[in-house]
Amino acid sequence: MIILLILLAAILLIAGWFFTTYNSLVALKVRVENAWSQIDVQLKRRHDLIPNLVEAVKGYMSYEKDTLERVIKARNQAIDASSIKDKAQAENFLSSTLKSLFAVVERYPDLKANQNVLKLQEELTSTENKISFARQYYNDEVGRFNTQIQIVPGNIVAGAVGFAQRDFFQIEDKTEKEAPQVKF
Amino acid sequence: MPYSFIEIEEKKTKVIGFLFVFIILFYFLTAYLILIVLENTSGFSCVAEGVRGCFALPSWQHTLAALAVALIIGLLHWWTSTSNLIDKICGLIGALPVDPKDTYHQYLKNIVEEVSVAIGGRPLEAWVLPSVSMNAFALEDFNGRAVIGVTEGLLTRLSRSQIEAVVGHEAGHIISGDCLSTTVTCALAEIYEEGSTHLALGLKRRRGRGSGVLVLVYIILAIMRFFSSLIRYFISRQREYRADAVAVRLTRDPLSLAEALKLISSNWRGSGAQGERLQSIFIMNPVPSALDEKEGVFSDMFSTHPPIKNRIGILLNMAHLDEKSLEENLKNFKRASPVAEIETKMEGPDLDRQWFVFMGQQWQGPFAVSELKNMPALTPEDWVRPQGSESVIHAYEDKALLGLFSKDAGSGDKEKFLCPHCKVSLEEVTYEGAPVLKCNYCQGVFVEEGKVSRILIRQDKHFSVEIARLGKTLISEKQKFQAKQGTDNVWVFDCPACLRKMLRQFFVYSYPVEVDRCAYCGGTWFDKYELDILQYLFENKEIFFKQGLT
Repeated sequence: MIILLILLAAILLIAGWFFTTYNSLVALKVRVENAWSQIDVQLKRRHDLIPNLVEAVKGYMSYEKDTLERVIKARNQAIDASSIKDKAQAENFLSSTLKSLFAVVERYPDLKANQNVLKLQEELTSTENKISFARQYYNDEVGRFNTQIQIVPGNIVAGAVGFAQRDFFQIEDKTEKEAPQVKF
Repeated sequence: MPYSFIEIEEKKTKVIGFLFVFIILFYFLTAYLILIVLENTSGFSCVAEGVRGCFALPSWQHTLAALAVALIIGLLHWWTSTSNLIDKICGLIGALPVDPKDTYHQYLKNIVEEVSVAIGGRPLEAWVLPSVSMNAFALEDFNGRAVIGVTEGLLTRLSRSQIEAVVGHEAGHIISGDCLSTTVTCALAEIYEEGSTHLALGLKRRRGRGSGVLVLVYIILAIMRFFSSLIRYFISRQREYRADAVAVRLTRDPLSLAEALKLISSNWRGSGAQGERLQSIFIMNPVPSALDEKEGVFSDMFSTHPPIKNRIGILLNMAHLDEKSLEENLKNFKRASPVAEIETKMEGPDLDRQWFVFMGQQWQGPFAVSELKNMPALTPEDWVRPQGSESVIHAYEDKALLGLFSKDAGSGDKEKFLCPHCKVSLEEVTYEGAPVLKCNYCQGVFVEEGKVSRILIRQDKHFSVEIARLGKTLISEKQKFQAKQGTDNVWVFDCPACLRKMLRQFFVYSYPVEVDRCAYCGGTWFDKYELDILQYLFENKEIFFKQGLT
């Protein structure tokens, strides 16, 4: 009888522990997903801004057709990418083409005096910053989640319910943290 | 992160609870004090108990009544000062929400939104304090609404990454949970100040009528004032260090924050006329005090901000730099302007140019820019020929005409403001990022109230030699102009905004630029170059002062 009671108590204890661990893992997972949707919003915003910028500078830069075309192409690729890894790669490529576009813009003094272009550029810089902040936040959350499901006791629960590790949103070079710094 | 979210919430409620108990206790003590004084002066309780000439403590019934009164007053006080917290404090310091038409304000809004993304998507509002000084503040209320505000001076003098670091610091206050208690504290302390000021005024008016009760109340209020200054010391200095740490964690850029702190501390940091009572909401104490720069138990208790040297020291340590190289860096510091730099030239050559336009299968014209502006049929693809030239080009190929298509498209239905000189509609343009209304014929500008100060604070424009010469002449011949001024009141122009007559006057006495000002809406009309000259005078006022011209 006593043994039975002890067993019952032990089962209850373990179940309680299991559910609290599970709940905290789910909370972390939701935060990771939230963070990802943040990135998504900002990426979409960048995709929307790029055609406007290209349109604004096109009139001035008739000799730079391929730079503009490359930016548009990179943008379309980024929109089509689906998995996190592909997306990260496509977005990195887009960032680098934008950098070269800004470098070209710098050679045109007329563009520097155009408030409209300047405004778009500020918008884009801000969006780049938001992307990197959102990525930073996302990576922090992913780091926390991945740690929790790897250490004891989280790994037992995660293994039982099938929580897998999340991918980081990687950036290629370390200096990329500063979004294209446009200086006029 | 220093705390988990639950810990932050717990800490928040604890501090707020302390504050509440403190308020009630404080009212109880005050009520008790009044009770003691009343009972011992009027002597009604002593008489009742048949004891004369004693110093009696109030009976427990009276004490209970005092407690009830204290509770009611305390609750009332709590309720009045914590409802509408943010708007109240912002109103006190004169802060305003960002103006979406203003380039600089848009820029600040972007930065605040970036930081909001960095803290995980919690919405933050951006506000601006129209002041030349450099400072920033954060406010939060019970509903979780959070506001980050910076001064115009900070906005114009710091670089993007430095502003980002400052905003990150303010966001640090919000996410580490100390912002709400600070805001509440400031709101609570505020009422005493106001109360005692009003009462002092009332007392002055009644002087001579021998109202002893008022004097008594005044003494009590003086005590209250002292206590209210005590409330402030609920706020720990540590929170500034913590917010600095959060800022670095968010922006990963300790150097920019160190630079920003250095620049703010070496410039004037006041927040304007206000500030002393609300000092704890700011990133840096608006009233520099010797206490702030000291360490030890006493200053830890009575100062709201830690020594700036320590703060910079910690940040520099993170950036692996020393103070000397920071100063070296700042010597060559020049921020990139978010506004296209345009030099004011004395003659706009485009004004005199005219074009022939190919429309309706024939060449028409010649037209000036302002006439083409009012031609809705003109598109960028139309052929034009500049007068005196044989080459035919697209309209968009001419720089002067390109401006016609980019601006105010689709604003045709809007209420039109008219130029007081030429009676043509004014065009909305930005001047150093601030929206102003400009006449394309006479080049005069109309600036609404509150926006002149923005323009004066910002320093994007370069001035041509002619403007400088005009400015210097004005300043050195000031006496002559001032003698002329004031002999006749000139009410010539109609205000473009409210159609009332505007008075011609100097902008201010020390800047003898003649402007027309509307007393009703506060707008100012500047004739061609007048705004440039005024700005030139303002930006170079120190030089003029040194030369003894002002």
